[in-house]
Formats: sequence, C-alpha cells, structure tokens
Amino acid sequence: MIMLYIQPLRKYLALTAIPFFLISCGSNYKLVKSNRTEYKMNGERAVDSTLIKTYLPYKIKMEQEMNTVIGHSEVLMTKNDKVPENLLRNFFSDALFHEVLKYDPGVDFAMPSTNGGLRVDIPKGEVKMSNIFEVMPFENEMMVFTLGPSDVQNLLNFIARTGGQPVAGLRMKIVNDRPTEVMINGKPYDPTRNYKILTSDYVAEGGDNVQSFKKPIERKILGIRMRDALITYIKENQAAGKTINPKLDGRITKD
Amino acid sequence: MEELLKINRRNFLKTGGMAAAAVALNLNAFDAIAAGDLVKLTILHTNDVHSRIEPFPMDGSKHQGLGGTARRSALINAIREKEKNVLLFDAGDIFQGTPYFNKYGGELEIKLMSEMKYDAATMGNHDFDNGLEGFYKQLPHANFPILCSNYDFSNTILNKSTLPYQVFKKQGIKIGVFGIGIKLKGLVGDRNYGETQFLDPIETANKTANLLKNDLKCDLVICLSHLGYRYDSNRDSDQVLARNTRNIDLIIGGHTHTFMDQPEDIQNLDGKITTINQVGFAGINLGRLDYYFERYKGKRIKTAAPYTISDQLDS
Repeated sequence: MIMLYIQPLRKYLALTAIPFFLISCGSNYKLVKSNRTEYKMNGERAVDSTLIKTYLPYKIKMEQEMNTVIGHSEVLMTKNDKVPENLLRNFFSDALFHEVLKYDPGVDFAMPSTNGGLRVDIPKGEVKMSNIFEVMPFENEMMVFTLGPSDVQNLLNFIARTGGQPVAGLRMKIVNDRPTEVMINGKPYDPTRNYKILTSDYVAEGGDNVQSFKKPIERKILGIRMRDALITYIKENQAAGKTINPKLDGRITKD
Repeated sequence: MEELLKINRRNFLKTGGMAAAAVALNLNAFDAIAAGDLVKLTILHTNDVHSRIEPFPMDGSKHQGLGGTARRSALINAIREKEKNVLLFDAGDIFQGTPYFNKYGGELEIKLMSEMKYDAATMGNHDFDNGLEGFYKQLPHANFPILCSNYDFSNTILNKSTLPYQVFKKQGIKIGVFGIGIKLKGLVGDRNYGETQFLDPIETANKTANLLKNDLKCDLVICLSHLGYRYDSNRDSDQVLARNTRNIDLIIGGHTHTFMDQPEDIQNLDGKITTINQVGFAGINLGRLDYYFERYKGKRIKTAAPYTISDQLDS
C-alpha cells in the first residue's frame, strides 16, 4: 500500500537529485602520496600523567584484590616438569575436572592443560588471587571433546611419550614411553569406544603439539575460563572450611 | 609476490601522476599545504590492545617494558599538536588479557580510549568475552563509534549500538571508515554472541566500500578489520579481502597479532592499491600512515593515477 505512494516520489527524488549531484559532484581531491611509519612504545617515551590519573584508582583497587586471600593450601605445589606426576598438576586437573562435571556430568577424564601451561608454583599457606593469575595467566577456556578410539589412543600416547601431563580421572603406567594399564574413571580403558574429555581451547588447537583434538566427534564450548573455574573451586573449598591438600596418588608412574 | 609488488611500486612512481607526485615530493610541500593545495591526513592506529593498560611487567618475558596507554597518549597528543588532521582507530580485541578486564569488564579500556580521543573502533572476537551484555554495558564510556558492517545485531541487545560505517571530514577530505569482523562460530562461545548474524565479510566489505567511495564520495576508504592478516588455508583474511574487493584504500588489521616490517600494498580487483597494516598487539606499537591529497582545479581526472608510497615520513 505504502509502496504506491513511494514509487512516484522516487521518480521525483531522482529528478531533483541530478542538479544537486552536479553541484556537489563529489571530491575535488586526489590522493598523491602516502608515507608510513610505526612507533615503538618503549621506556624512552614520555608519559601522559593525566591518563595515569585516570587509571591509578583502578590499579590500586585491582592490586588490593590480587592480594586477597581466596584459600589455603596445606602444601607447596612445585612446578616440576621432570616427573610423571606432581602436586601442582594433580591439584589443577582435579579442580577443573570437579568443575566441569557441574556442566557436563558425562566427562570421562581431563587433561585441562599441558605441563607448559602451568606457569609457577602455588605456595603453602595463603593462596592469593595473584597466585592463581600467575599460575594461569592465559585466557584459555574449558572445552569438552568427544573423541573416537584412535584419537583417544593418540592422546594417551602423547601423555606417555612426554612422560606425564596434568590429568584427572585417568591412570596409567608408562613403560618404554608407551601407556599401559590405563584406567579411565575407575574402569579399564576400552580401546574400542569413544571418550568425553575435558581440555582447553589451547590444547585442542594443537598447542604444545597435541594433535588428538583436531577431528573430534563432538566439540563443546562451555564459555568458562580455566582460571575462573579454578578460582571458583578454591573459593568454594574455603567457604566450606576446607583447605587444599593435593596428594600424589600414583595416577601416572614411569618405569 | 614480493617482486611483483616492487615492480608495481616502481610503476606507480613512473606513471603515477607525475605532476601530482612532483607537488607532493616537492621540498616546498609546506607551501603547498599552507596554500591549501595539498591536504595532509594522518591516520594513527592500534589493534589487539587486550587490556594492556600498563607496559608489560619487567619479568624477562619477550615484550617486557613495552606498551602502555600513558606513553601512547603522550605520543598521540604530540602528533595532534603538530598535525592538523589526525584520525585514530582501533581494529578490535580491546578486551581481555590482563586482570583489569577480569575485574572491571572493559570499563577502563574504553574510558582510556575515549580520553585518548579514538575516532572509531571495530569489535574483535574477545570483545564478546563477557557476552553481548558485557560489551553493551561498557558503551556508555565510549565517546567514539563502534563500527561493524558484517555483524547484524538487530535481534540482540546491541541493536542500534553500533554503526556499519562512519564518514569523517577533515579539511574538505572525506574519509569513509567501516568495520569487518571475524566469523564468530567456533571462535566465540555460542552464548556470548547469541543471535548475532554473521554476514560474509568480503561481500559486505565490497558493498560498504562501494557505498562509501562511489555514493558518498569519500576520498579515502578505510576498513577496520579483525579478520587476521593471512592464513595458510584460504580462510577470509585481510589479504583475501584486499585482493577480492574494490574501493578500499587501507585495511587496518588485527586478530593475528602480526608485527609487519612495513605495510603491505596489494593490487585490488580494480588494479589499485589496497594497503594492509597491523601493528602487533598489546599497544606495543602505534601505526601511522600519512596521506597527502592534492586539490585539483577544473575537471576531475577520470582515471585515477596511482600514488607514491614511502615507508618514511617527510621530515
């Protein structure tokens, strides 16, 4: 109905547009030259103190929060990549495995990071927010993958070949760099079935040369950062009056 | 490819509107600028700043001590004092990367950009990290437009919060700027982009650039892109965008955190120059491109001549 009125109007507009177009006739400029450069923001540059004034209150408040104690640990968790199993890895993997089960109870086991992804020790005693940011400075997210038999085998081989990685819900004995006596979620590993695995977007995309997650049967983005999940886990323990007390349970041993 | 570009550049120099080039290269360019015959436009840009408010800490990491908004702001102020026509853009991933984002949700990042007088920015995938609501919440702190031409936010909270493009006017020069975003599916959690409709970047870019150059008569068309510089596969990238479009003069890129030795000049579908530039990430660098426009009297020359390019500023 409205179109009927617009049609003649359009013609009218088109006619009046012509003289207008001739007058305004676009640009009177022509691009003749382009020069380019790049400035490095290093310590030799002046600073704008007005801007610092804007962010200083934010900085102070943030640093206070970073110093907030969110939990307590009974033990020092050392980053030591030369052993098949350590407290830092066990704590990290168990915490995230616990968290992911809230969203997907069907997850069979977890390799939420590689050894390289865990950056520093977590101290004995007070655990501050900053400790968690330091151990997990990256913005990686939890992902749940369903893998077919060959990819699961590939992942188990990777864990064995590299002498152990952060895992939960998984046990193995590494013999001659190969996985043996593998148990998943309390049951013997079945090389014919699919498994549901928690990992990170970083690992899944081939980080640290993990190639097992490239052709998943199913891939689920949870939209939850690993660090946030870790903080939730620690805070929940603290709220329940529990300290963090990871143990070596022989989940991965090496010949 | 490198060789081809070099040859092309030489050709530009040879055939590129000698009269115009002479004016532009003249030592008395200042006189020409003073007389209004030559207009200089300065484009400054960042990408993937990722909440890097302060320089990287001195912890032995690769980029320690580099970056920082206070330095960038001081430099931008100094350039604005010297230059008449300055535009400042960001190619997305403003959010995420330091606890500032985790704590304040991007408020400080946007506030500081407003204080530095950014003229426009586009959205990167990490700007969806707190969902559409998370981004929407920070918009009151922005006194610059967010440009997205290939995200249709009609059915989301961001409806009418972004613009597909914006035309800036500087001393008679019209600069058309639009934003192009990366495919969100698989990169951003589904919940975080909700009902956002993703439109084909190349097709949308072509349409928008045509509108800006030919209908709105912009002298320069700039695309703020978060597609990424280039990939091994034939995924959409800035290189793919440059080769398969018309009417884009400059692509200010992001996403791949690419440190380029110098901007890359690619021949677009019209055989004209589309320049791509990206300056790493985290505000480690500030990119700058000066464009010189010559005012012509009388009839407009139908076949636009190529222009001269130098990876050095005029002193």
